[in-house]
Amino acid sequence: MIELKSVTKRYGDTTAISELTMDVEDGQLCVLIGPSGCGKTTTLRMINRLVEPTRGAILINGEDNRGSRPDVLRRSIGYAIQSVGLFPHMTVEQNIGTVPSILGWEKPRIADRSRELLDMVGLDADAYATKYPHELSGGEAQRIGVARALAADPPILLMDEPFGAVDPLTREMLQRQFMDIQRRLKKTIVLVTHDLDEAIRMADKVAVMKSGTLVQYDTPEELLSHPADSFVRDFVGADRALKRLSRIPVTTLMRPATSVQRGAVLSESAFAELPRYVWIVDKGTRLLGWADTAGGPDSARWQVDESQGRRVSVLESASLREALSLMLGQGVRNVPVVTDDCKLMGEITLKDIEEATAE
Amino acid sequence: MPGQEDGSSRLSQCNCVALFGAALGLLSLGLPWLSIRSSRLAAGEPVWLVSAIGPLVAGIFLIVWLLALRAGFDTNRERSAATLGAAGALLAPATLIAAGIGSKHLLEAAEPFARSSLSAGVWIGLIASYVLIHTAARSLEGRPALRQTVIWFPVLAIAIAGLSGLYSNTSLAQEFAGNEGRFIQELSRHISLSLGSVAIGTCIAVPLGTAAARSKRAERPIFVIASTIETIPSLALFGFMIAPLSALSYAYPALREIGIRGVGTAPALIALVLYSLLPIVHNTYVGLKEVSPAAMDAGRGMGMSRPQLARRVEFPLAAPLIAEGVRTASVQSVGGTTVAALIGAGGLGHFIFQGLGQAAPDLILMGALPVIALALVVDIVMRWAIARLSPKGLRAEAVT
Repeated sequence: MIELKSVTKRYGDTTAISELTMDVEDGQLCVLIGPSGCGKTTTLRMINRLVEPTRGAILINGEDNRGSRPDVLRRSIGYAIQSVGLFPHMTVEQNIGTVPSILGWEKPRIADRSRELLDMVGLDADAYATKYPHELSGGEAQRIGVARALAADPPILLMDEPFGAVDPLTREMLQRQFMDIQRRLKKTIVLVTHDLDEAIRMADKVAVMKSGTLVQYDTPEELLSHPADSFVRDFVGADRALKRLSRIPVTTLMRPATSVQRGAVLSESAFAELPRYVWIVDKGTRLLGWADTAGGPDSARWQVDESQGRRVSVLESASLREALSLMLGQGVRNVPVVTDDCKLMGEITLKDIEEATAE
Repeated sequence: MPGQEDGSSRLSQCNCVALFGAALGLLSLGLPWLSIRSSRLAAGEPVWLVSAIGPLVAGIFLIVWLLALRAGFDTNRERSAATLGAAGALLAPATLIAAGIGSKHLLEAAEPFARSSLSAGVWIGLIASYVLIHTAARSLEGRPALRQTVIWFPVLAIAIAGLSGLYSNTSLAQEFAGNEGRFIQELSRHISLSLGSVAIGTCIAVPLGTAAARSKRAERPIFVIASTIETIPSLALFGFMIAPLSALSYAYPALREIGIRGVGTAPALIALVLYSLLPIVHNTYVGLKEVSPAAMDAGRGMGMSRPQLARRVEFPLAAPLIAEGVRTASVQSVGGTTVAALIGAGGLGHFIFQGLGQAAPDLILMGALPVIALALVVDIVMRWAIARLSPKGLRAEAVT
């Protein structure tokens, strides 16, 4: 656990941070967010003593972080920054092995660990271990920056806009991948960003900062549904209801869907119970598309739109926001939810979403 | 009108350096190649190429230089470069060999104590061939084999001609033969003095440059002192050393025992060390300042101590630039050491000043030519070493 206790930082006459108190629970991902100059990066850098507070104390697992030498403290805290700062004269493997080598690990152990981490961040160890930083794309460099921060398996990770310097597509991919890693490793993470979507997507708790003070410290859901004041309300934006949807998985509102196997002949009574439009699946319940049942009980005579099985559905890992976006885009009132291999799991209706957001 | 336009664009496309070289080469044919004297100190009599070696060979020289001139106008870059390279690579050794054969013939016909020495025509011809080789080598980057041949063939040919005794009759060779022991001695003095001073200078300059990069307060005084030293003419600096050092050695005779006197090696070494400071201090400073702040922040944030940061990140990244500074200082020091002979430190300058005193141009050349060669060799060797020793990640970065 990281505890900030009445932390104040002054530079001359200007107060960068004033009386900041907050806790980060073990295994949680806490996002510091706010407009530039709000002190979020300074706060992050005080945790590993790259910046020393003027007053107040920071406790890590109950111990004051001034209890040991700064460099010794930092070796037990992972550190990843936006500009990545890979060492250009070292190979990827040597870069990842930086902290282990300072800690005096033996060479073979460092090499094994580097390869393990390359695997973890989804890069082929054989291809990347001997590359130099200038041979990497922006996204690859940032992944290696994250791998380097994780090298000595520190319980705490400090990240300053770790997915900042890449295009939006790559960023989302990196975020998703990092969340997978975090689900497995359960590190205590403090992450600085100015990207609200990133905060909503990743955070267990969000700390909104404004000119050196903490304005609100809450779960993303609370932040969006109950902004503490007008600053936070403006900051999260007029579309906060939409943003909140991105926190809710489709599976929470999913209901069973009516589907018919392609080519099946239905009894009159069964046919009578069908709605006008039904989902069509194959024998293995893979979604093929939808059909208009106007043609009578023999499903072979229905008009089936098979081309769009994947395009009209959302994945089970998607959020309500994606489901809603799909409905609006296709002009439909319900969308099917499918597994990775396109098996029909259920459906989401517009009415359910309306009810969920109304509360 | 179109014709005019065509003409001006053709003129801008031609190789001006090559034209200059070829013109210089043609000029060399009009100057005396050799000078024959009845004795070492007698006045010389000029001999032109035609009379030294005959009209046929002189004609061939003329044709090859004219071909080079035409290649200078050639707009086909590759063909032009190949012709220029071939002409330069052949003309350089041919000029020296023709002069050697010519002087042999002339001396056989002359009095027994007569001497022949190389004159302006030969030197200008050599410079002109060097210009052709230089411009050709630059255009031949894409054809490394041809490029290496153009560069190394003349060097090899001249060396073989020299070893075969072709020049043993020229007065330069005779001066050398008369001073061979002394030459070896002064050459090794020159090398140890110039490179030794740079070695000591590096040990002083790298910490100074580091201090300048780390502390705003130290930055100004360090650069003011180092650049002031650099502006003092070398002769004056050597002179400055004499008074305080002689005073010191009179006050403490023990110093004299270990060789510290107003004249000799000690003042020369000190002056040369001082000269080597600025390029190394400057490059160390720039090298450290240019280390990426992100890499430094990452290193610090991951828990490197100050010495670890310096050893693992800062200095490896600054090393190529620091080495460049050492190279600059070394080349400069090889030249500077020449003057050290004036205060009794020896070195190749000894022959130059002796030659000046005796009005013996061959003696001057015997000192000056090896100094030039030495500077070139030091430059080439250190460039090669820097390229080889730079960390791989940085080398590739420099290319892209």
